[in-house]
Amino acid sequence: MSEVKTERIEQMIDYIMKKCLWQFQSRAWDRRDQNLGVLSKTTQILCGEHVELETPADRCYWVDAVCLAEAYRERLPWLAALSVPEIKDLMQGLHERLDFLTIDGSLNEELTDQMY
Amino acid sequence: MHCELKEKDRIGTINPIFTCQPAGAQYASIGIKECIGIVHGGQGCVMFVRLLISQHLKESFEIASSSVHEDGAVFGALDRVEQAVDVLLMRYPHVKVVPIISTCSTEVIGDDIDGVVRKLNEELLPEKYPGREVHLIPIHTPSFVGSMVTGYDVAVRDFVKYFAEKGEPNGKLNLITGWVNPGDVKALKHLLAEMDIQANVLFEIESFDSPLMPDGNFVSHGSTTIEDLKRTGSASATLALNRYEGGQAAKYLENEFGQPTIVGPTPIGIRNTDTFLANLKKLTGKPIPHSLVVERGIAIDALTDLTHMFLADKRVAIYGNPDLVIGLAEFCLDLEMKPVLLLLGDDNANYGDDPRIQAMQQNVDYPMEIITNADLWDLEDRVKNQGLELDLILGHSKGRFAAMECNVPMVRVGFPTYDRAGLYRYPVVGYEGATWLAEQMANTLFTDMEYKKNKEWVLNVW
Amino acid sequence: MPYHEFECSTCIPERKKHAVVKGPGETLADALPLGYLNTIPGTISERGCAYCGAKHVIGTPMKDVIHISHGPVGCTYDTWQTKRYISDNDNFQLKYTFATDVKEKHIVFGAEKLLKQNIIEAFKAHPTIKRMTIYQTCATALIGDDIDAIAQEVMEELPDVDIFVCNSPGFAGPSQSGGHHKINIAWIKNKVGTVEPEITSDYVINYVGEYNIQGDQEVMQDFFKRMGIQILSTFTGNGSYDDLRAMHKAHLNVLECARSAEYICNELRVKYGIPRLDIDGFGFEPLGNSLRKVGLFFGIEDRAQAIIDEETARWKPELDWYKARLMHKKVCLWPGGSKLWHWANVIHEEMGVDVVSVYTKFGHQGDMEKGIARCEQGALAIDDPNELESVEAMYKLKPDIIFTGKRPGEVAKKIRVPYLNAHAYHNGPWKGYEGWVRFARDIYNGIYSPIHELSKLDISKDEIPTDKGFVTQRMLSDANLPDEVRNDPNLRQYTGKYDMLAALRGKTYPAFEQHTPKEAAA
Repeated sequence: MSEVKTERIEQMIDYIMKKCLWQFQSRAWDRRDQNLGVLSKTTQILCGEHVELETPADRCYWVDAVCLAEAYRERLPWLAALSVPEIKDLMQGLHERLDFLTIDGSLNEELTDQMY
Repeated sequence: MHCELKEKDRIGTINPIFTCQPAGAQYASIGIKECIGIVHGGQGCVMFVRLLISQHLKESFEIASSSVHEDGAVFGALDRVEQAVDVLLMRYPHVKVVPIISTCSTEVIGDDIDGVVRKLNEELLPEKYPGREVHLIPIHTPSFVGSMVTGYDVAVRDFVKYFAEKGEPNGKLNLITGWVNPGDVKALKHLLAEMDIQANVLFEIESFDSPLMPDGNFVSHGSTTIEDLKRTGSASATLALNRYEGGQAAKYLENEFGQPTIVGPTPIGIRNTDTFLANLKKLTGKPIPHSLVVERGIAIDALTDLTHMFLADKRVAIYGNPDLVIGLAEFCLDLEMKPVLLLLGDDNANYGDDPRIQAMQQNVDYPMEIITNADLWDLEDRVKNQGLELDLILGHSKGRFAAMECNVPMVRVGFPTYDRAGLYRYPVVGYEGATWLAEQMANTLFTDMEYKKNKEWVLNVW
Repeated sequence: MPYHEFECSTCIPERKKHAVVKGPGETLADALPLGYLNTIPGTISERGCAYCGAKHVIGTPMKDVIHISHGPVGCTYDTWQTKRYISDNDNFQLKYTFATDVKEKHIVFGAEKLLKQNIIEAFKAHPTIKRMTIYQTCATALIGDDIDAIAQEVMEELPDVDIFVCNSPGFAGPSQSGGHHKINIAWIKNKVGTVEPEITSDYVINYVGEYNIQGDQEVMQDFFKRMGIQILSTFTGNGSYDDLRAMHKAHLNVLECARSAEYICNELRVKYGIPRLDIDGFGFEPLGNSLRKVGLFFGIEDRAQAIIDEETARWKPELDWYKARLMHKKVCLWPGGSKLWHWANVIHEEMGVDVVSVYTKFGHQGDMEKGIARCEQGALAIDDPNELESVEAMYKLKPDIIFTGKRPGEVAKKIRVPYLNAHAYHNGPWKGYEGWVRFARDIYNGIYSPIHELSKLDISKDEIPTDKGFVTQRMLSDANLPDEVRNDPNLRQYTGKYDMLAALRGKTYPAFEQHTPKEAAA
């Protein structure tokens, strides 16, 4: 991964970590759904694509995605210069990094508890 | 008979007057220097009691928990006591006294705290802490027996029993104060000093009105030492002020060491303070000095300004610790007031044997109820639903909503009084306490008259 | 080495992994304190019990309920009147508490008969209240009383009453958190779905994990009502028992304190498909984002934006007045559970203070993840702190103020650190825009207290300043401020009233047209 990309992902992660709550639900499966749900919709918004809003769950991911996309556009001036494939690639990297920090690399021993 | 002694006629408790036994044992334990108690039970039994006492004194102090969790409740939790003692001793090297205070859960599961203390004395202490003075004292305070009052009584007895030694007579008097405030201890010490009496005060908690020092001193603690406790056995005499809080310790000292011993009366009001001084004189042979005649005179002078004009015939409800309630009722009677409802918050079957209660039963000439096992609903329900008329309530802060619901002014007294500033600093005992109490009552009534426009113009001239 | 070892705890190696310093370049995957483990006995931890977590924290804020504890009287007494969760029905839940008063004979022979008599007596004493929650305690759990059976029996005899049983004895878990969990699960299992509500809006939420401390719920309720949103229930502050039985009919669960109430949201999501939206009611930006998200969910984000604009214009100049004077003041953020992450970032961003430490008494590792994620570098994070560690941390970090509980606050006072009550607040509410300014005001008053300044003077050693008869907070806070900040005409101190709730309680709201027919909505 290029240094620029890593640096950009860290900036994006930093915002999520400091300002968002959706990535920190209590179980691994929920975190995976949340990360996927919010970040895929954020990607769609940033890329100007259609966002599915079929279910209440979709809408719920979407509201977090709208706010995240807005914050990124506002805070990350370099974002405007990126092409759609570049955004997708970056968001893919962000998603992987977030999954690592909150799920796969997480030291939270309760994530795998089968009950709420 | 006008004065009736009876038990609450409901079975449950709505708005309790007392908490349970372990709280009383904890309050006693913080009076001892170099002492941190371990409460053997769930964490709430400590966390909330610390909060309660801390709210009252506006201080912090240390009490530990054995933190019994689910596995301990199922399989027994004595290992938690062993670990708690070890952890506490490792991290608090100054600690010498560790009462192990039981609770309902650990009494129900039958944890043998006496056995674990023996085991620790045989193994942990000599092996890991050789040469260190450590006293582990089991104190049984199941929450389903008695109340915080009996818990205090049991703990004082057990501390004294554990430490008291027969030695060379030291000429000192044991003064067992009962559950009082730092301000009371200060006032009692003042009276003793005026009488030129050397006393061993149990427990010496004056220091809980502690300073905020520029160099920092992060914890307040009692000042009664192990030596003080040991010397209780070689005292010349014992005077316990409260029948229900320290009375058992006094009886123990009387029986075990043959000390002349007097229990009560609680020195609340002029008359009971006179009796207290008479008892001091009797036990020590010391005369009552002129300075106290003057002090008494100042108090009488102040009370005379209030009694027939303002306090006479005022109808009062009093709740709280039994010695306090009885002492306040006696004082109110002397002030021409009419205590009409006394609420004692536990089911002690011996209240009927108390000569002070018997005297009220024999002499009070208006309807008066003394309810045992009472709760604060006994007060509120009578006022709101049964037509009881009151001018004043005397009691602790947990009754604040009852007083407001009844729209009756209230003087905070007893434990806890967290909703008024600094009350732990003021005595209710002695001549000074009598003056303070009467003036608090009068000023509270005055404020109430003004807010309710109830003959508020009376005070235009006084 | 990211883990922080306290000198006072070197002798208990189990504590080694309970504290972390957020180091440069480190992430949550490098170090995370252990959490929600059994307490080490004798450490003088600050944790409470599972009974209090259920009864005291979550159960009792329900306002129209007789809350009765089945056990000796102490559990009831001790957890009575030690919180500031108010309600708009004259605080019934604060004023009255009930104990079955279990005594020795009941321990020996059983207390079920006693319980039944108690239930009947309590309803008789308060004939207008028809709902009850019974809380098990250590003693009655251990003697094995069947509380559910008794409750069922009474409900059959008194058809107009409804009773909820919460079996969460004090020993059920490492801390109060065990009780939060138990009452969440018991409520959804036994009570949700037993009442069908009247739906009065197209936009229906449950507001979850909000306990109306000093009126927080009422402040937030005001925003939702201004948006035309129906709050079907609040779990549980200022909440109504029957409303909470109808939680299944909401379109969205808006979750505030995930620590104490995420369980019920998770279960509602699984069982009824209601999504869970985690929000922050504290701080201008997080609150604004939260209102926007709720608005977006329903397609009424313009209504949210109107509130954000109005409130920000009204209160931002006051918040910024305090921010200018609180810059880089050091804070120990030492609450119970959720506030460490609710506040960690936003007090830094919006009030300018530096959070040098966070701790949690009963939080889980998930709370630490959120808290550490939101702190700046260098912050010390402590799980299940104990008295000596807290003192060691305060001496080391030298905070200008700490936010914690009442009793630890007394410890801080003695080492001359001002404290604010993180659980019950000083002069709240602290949620909402005005509330957030009130919090800033309370911090300012704490840090710049003239008496606090005097506490540092040793009159026996130091030179005594004799040139002043008084000092004001302003003289202290503005001494080193540049003129343009000190005299900034756009900023001002807090201008609200002592009681800001009175105005909310009598308020009327615009009627929004309802598009969904009532039948369809229900």
